[in-house]
Amino acid sequence: MPYWYYDKKDLQNTPSFRDGISNETENRYRKEGARFIIDTGSKMDLGYNTVATGVVYFHRFYMFHSFRTFPRYITACCCLFLAGKVEETPKKCKDIIKVAKSLLTEQKFASFGEDPKEEVMTLERILLQTIKFDLQVEHPYGYLLKYAKCLKGDKAKLQKMVQMAWTFVNDSLCTTLCLQWEPEVIAVALMFLAGKLSKFEVVDWNGRVPKHNAWWDMFVEDITMELLEDICHQVLDLYSPQPQSSGADSPPLNTPKTPKNEKKPPSVTPPASVSPVAPIPSKPAITPIKNGADVKVEPPKMEPIRYQSYPAYPGIPPPYPPVYSAPPPSIPPPPRLAITGPPPMVYSEPPPGPPARFPPVNVPPPNYFPPLPGRGPPPPGPPPRPYYPPP
Amino acid sequence: MSAASSSQSPPAIASISDVSALFQNAKKYEELNVIGTGAYGTVYKARDLHNGGQIVAMKKVKVALTEDGIPLSTLREIALLRQLEAYRHENIVRLLDVCHSGQSVERDHQLVLFLVFEHVEQDLESYLKRAPGPLSENRIRSMSYDILSGIDFLHSHRIVHRDLKPHNLLVTSNGRVKLADFGLAKTYDTDMKLTSVVVTLWYRPPEVLLGVSYNTAVDVWSCGCVLAQLHTRKPLLPGSSDSDQLHCIFRLIGRPPRSEWPENISIVADSFPDYQPQDLGEVIPRIHPHALDMIKGMLVFDPAKRLTAWDCLKHPYFTDEPL
Repeated sequence: MPYWYYDKKDLQNTPSFRDGISNETENRYRKEGARFIIDTGSKMDLGYNTVATGVVYFHRFYMFHSFRTFPRYITACCCLFLAGKVEETPKKCKDIIKVAKSLLTEQKFASFGEDPKEEVMTLERILLQTIKFDLQVEHPYGYLLKYAKCLKGDKAKLQKMVQMAWTFVNDSLCTTLCLQWEPEVIAVALMFLAGKLSKFEVVDWNGRVPKHNAWWDMFVEDITMELLEDICHQVLDLYSPQPQSSGADSPPLNTPKTPKNEKKPPSVTPPASVSPVAPIPSKPAITPIKNGADVKVEPPKMEPIRYQSYPAYPGIPPPYPPVYSAPPPSIPPPPRLAITGPPPMVYSEPPPGPPARFPPVNVPPPNYFPPLPGRGPPPPGPPPRPYYPPP
Repeated sequence: MSAASSSQSPPAIASISDVSALFQNAKKYEELNVIGTGAYGTVYKARDLHNGGQIVAMKKVKVALTEDGIPLSTLREIALLRQLEAYRHENIVRLLDVCHSGQSVERDHQLVLFLVFEHVEQDLESYLKRAPGPLSENRIRSMSYDILSGIDFLHSHRIVHRDLKPHNLLVTSNGRVKLADFGLAKTYDTDMKLTSVVVTLWYRPPEVLLGVSYNTAVDVWSCGCVLAQLHTRKPLLPGSSDSDQLHCIFRLIGRPPRSEWPENISIVADSFPDYQPQDLGEVIPRIHPHALDMIKGMLVFDPAKRLTAWDCLKHPYFTDEPL
């Protein structure tokens, strides 16, 4: 079975990097591709699950191919197209292309070639092969809702926290976090972040046992504070202005490789950042988390990170595609196999959301079925995967 | 994609076709010989060239491409098979890889998929044929348990096998049984009337033969027939046609009472003689009484009254101390 988690070294030494594209540029391409999938998906009323699946395909794809060989926007379209089918929310290829055309500049759309549909069709087969037909992808959303159910505390604050965490999960799609950590871990980290920012202190939770230091200990083992902070920073980095965005809109295609093509004058366009959030003037130096064998980039100036040092968080980031950002109003979160023991469910109110903004989400998720009636315990889940990628 | 596209617009994916040449998975596996041919594809014995020449079973399935590429149902099924694999259930044959040949695509709008499974030398059909004499009580019990565990696993994931038969049950060198060939497995859907030509005649349950909608209980029926066969090494209900199969069934379990006869079907109960139930203990002589009781519970006309695979696993046949 394919293994889809990478350490930071792998994430730097990608096919694109080896093809002469700098890590910064690649990250921008990834962000723009993900953003584009989100925008296209939202415009087509696709649910958050389908969108997220498409984005995960996209990130996985570029662990095997260079952005120079495969322009990002057509790959993005293809990922969304395939995700639509897998999540049983299919959209016609030509409709996706139509929306894509409306969202892209003429220049960018030119990368779709003369017969965009045929290109996407061809790309679908390459995509399938690349992601090894490993089509079913899990996302942090379900875990987020599941975990929230167990937390005790002020309901209103909890809801606010969950909603904020939900937005962070959306935004995390623009990072490579889904290539680094399981959705459970990402859910924990972004709830942790949202809790800090919304001042929701989790003091108690259902299913608490003495050996638990934090609520997440009952779901995921061995989560360190370092790890949580690293994940949070990767998401928060999205909101800080990029030092410079290298101007190239697209990598040169099939041109002689010029590894040093990254020295571009700073672009006048603002960085394709995600939710408009107040710029963060200074960020405490953080130690890059060790994720397996890692490269020490800077001498770790490790101070305990104080989230207070961020400017007052302006509440929930405004939903950027108006239809996509908030948790669904009344989705009973699908019970999943807990990583550790399942907690009793008490939190009955679904996270709030601005009404009328929700995409028509597909509930329950298509691959979820309630347990068979009159059955014994569910079969054992998949063996827990290590949270540290194998060497 | 035409080569022309490279002339004007940026040569965007002009390279895609070149790249797809990289994906000729035939290169990854060396076909050795045909193991079997079914309605849905051919199974080859093959060598995994990337994995030290490990022997695998490669199922070749042709998929007709639609206007929108690979059909959703195919993708769903593969996604599900892949997902199941994460559990590594020991009574399910391992799915090692899925790939396709990028090649033959353009020609006839088909895509050839390769589902690569672990190779198991023997299936239950040949195992029973080769058995020099009756299987031991313990062997039968352990094989029965393996089969039911596999079925229960599929059912708990809302998959109906629909084609359980000795040919699809693989026997490993240490006598464990694994379910294979649920390429037909469709996600369980109560309201959907599924195509009726799926289960091999002898293991086909009455509801399928009568054309009524069906569910996971079909596998329990088929399994009951297989378990009986473990004892006798002969098919329990060797019908020669659809209607003969129904006669075989009713001769064994008796013609069901009117109250149980499905409504809205064209076949009326009266088209069958008023068969009285036979004693299964006479059909399967010397069978363990618990085994007999369990198999009786599996071969019940009304699917709703049939034991489930889970019930069977909890049956005293497996839970009681051996006599």
